[in-house]
Parts: sequence; structure tokens; C-alpha cells
Amino acid sequence: MSDPKGNDGDGLTALSLILSGLLLYGGLGWAVDRLCGTGWFLPVGLIGGLALGVFMVIRRFGASS
Amino acid sequence: MGPGGFSLVPLESGPPQFGVSAFESRPLFPSRAWLDSGGQETVWTDIWLTNHIAQAVIAAGLVIGFWLFVSRRSQVVPGKRQFVGEYLYELVRNGVARSIIGLEYRRYLPYLLALFSFILINNLFGQFFLFMFPTFSKIGFAWGLAAASWILYNGVGIKRYGLIKYLSKMTLPQGVPKPLLILVAPLEFISNFLVRPLTLGLRLFANLFAGHLVIMVFVVGGSWLLWSTKSSSPDYSPIWNVAGGLSILMSFAVFAIELLVGCLQAYIFTVLTAQYVSSSLSEEH
Repeated sequence: MSDPKGNDGDGLTALSLILSGLLLYGGLGWAVDRLCGTGWFLPVGLIGGLALGVFMVIRRFGASS
Repeated sequence: MGPGGFSLVPLESGPPQFGVSAFESRPLFPSRAWLDSGGQETVWTDIWLTNHIAQAVIAAGLVIGFWLFVSRRSQVVPGKRQFVGEYLYELVRNGVARSIIGLEYRRYLPYLLALFSFILINNLFGQFFLFMFPTFSKIGFAWGLAAASWILYNGVGIKRYGLIKYLSKMTLPQGVPKPLLILVAPLEFISNFLVRPLTLGLRLFANLFAGHLVIMVFVVGGSWLLWSTKSSSPDYSPIWNVAGGLSILMSFAVFAIELLVGCLQAYIFTVLTAQYVSSSLSEEH
């Protein structure tokens, strides 16, 4: 059963991936900004995390169809 | 809304002392006080034994009782009692367990079925007399169930693949270029081990909490508009009473929606648990 048949959870998996990307890399960017006194790591982290999350969603769900 | 304070609606007395306080658990038994041998007074309250705990335990008893009742003395040609039981059983077995987990669904069916019926009964408590409170609108209960499902899907994964292989399976997706893995692995880790249980618990809690709050606004607010508006006030207008009556009428529609939401959330929680188990067991991620 490599491919779960139920579709109810797919949207939530996607949401969870994108949220994780935003939280993790946005949070890292925020922490770097706080420690180093810079101001551009947070937006870069947020955008980068979002891009990674979207990339993971495309990789997971784009290939099967 | 005391004297001098601004009040939109002219009311006979202050704001309601009931309503939202339903979310505060109350100890089931009153405090007891006694004198020990030294003449010292001791006061004891069973703070853990609250009306909401009792409600959850009663729900568990109802679930056990129901399944024992419908599965007792099964016959080849089912009677009404057995028919109801088998119908519900097959709903979870075919609709959730078998279609999502696949071949090995049998091992996880008891947990999924118990989970579904326990959440459903607790959600229905929000609409029915005697309790009138959905247990899972207290977030601690939702965390408890989320923790149980978290332990289950991680446990079966670790049991099948071993800790190291399971962790790498869940954090290192296939088909991603090597340099990206270092960025993607923590993301997958957070997504699979932290966001999953968080959303599982929060979704159940927030749906039930918000629904019950809306019902209270409609019912409590409506009854206050209807009965407690001060007719001698210069601000008084019968429109307040009409609005209150309409609000109480509307509350029945909200109750109906809550009935739907309660069933839906029980189903979704079960489906997601099955999905997580299936993703832990699957060969490739």
C-alpha cells in the first residue's frame, strides 16, 4: 500500500507541509534576525520556507497524477 | 454595563452570570472538611473529578455498552439490533479502515471504531439534554486523543521498520536532490511529528468549541433580549424582543449545523488517524 487511496487527508498533508515550511524557516530567519540585529532574514526565511513547502507538495502530489 | 456605563441594549440587570461559564469544569462533589487528631482542619476537594471528566467516562461506558449490546448473540439473519450494529461497523470498516489502510486493516479496526464512536458520542452530548456540552470543546480531551493517535502511528512505524529506518523514512523523501534534503528533512520532520498531532487536536477542539460558543450566543443572548429588556428605559424598542425571539429560533438551525459538524469531525479524526497509520506502514514515503 504505497499509495494511500483515501483522498480526505491529502489537502491536510499539503497544508501541513506548507505550514511547516513557513514556521520552520520563518522561525529560523526570525531567530537569526534577533541574534544578529539584521532585518532581512525573516522575509527571506518565510519566502524560502513557503517555496520549499510548495515544492514538497508538488513533488508529492504532482508525480502521481 | 453598570450605572453610567454605555449599554447598547437597555437591560433589567447586569450581564448574564451563566452561559460561557459552562466551559469551566466544576468539581463533581462539594469540598469536605474534617478535623484531624491534632485539631487541624483539613479541606479536601476532588478537583480532578469534574463534570466533564464524568461525562467522558460516561461516554466511554456508553460506547462499550453499545457495542456489547449490538454484538451480543449474533445470528446469520440479523435482527434490527444486529443490523444497526453491523451497519455502523461496516461504515468504519469499509469506509475508513479498509479503503485507507488496505490489507492489514483488521489490526487497527478496533481502535478506529472505538475512536469514531467515542468522539461521536461526546460530540452528540453537545446537542442532547442532561449534558448539553460537547466534551471536546475542552482542549485537554482533544490533546488526549491526539496523543493516543500519535503514539499509535509512530508505534506501528517503529515496530515495523525500527527507529532509525522509520525516522529516515518519515523525514527523507525520495526523489529529492541531495543538496535539498538538508533543507527538506527538518520540514518533513516538523510536518510529520509536530504539525500532525497539533492539527489533529486543534481541529477537533476548535470546531466543537466554536460551535458551542455560537450556540450560547444565540440562546443566552437571545433569551436576554427577549426577557430582560427594560421596557421603562427611553432606549427601549420592541425590536430588541423581536430580535431575541428570532435569535432563539435561529439557534435551532445552529444546533442542526452543530449536529453535522459533530459527526463530520468524528469521521475526519478517524480518517486522518487511519491515514497516518497507513503512511507509517507504507514502503515508500
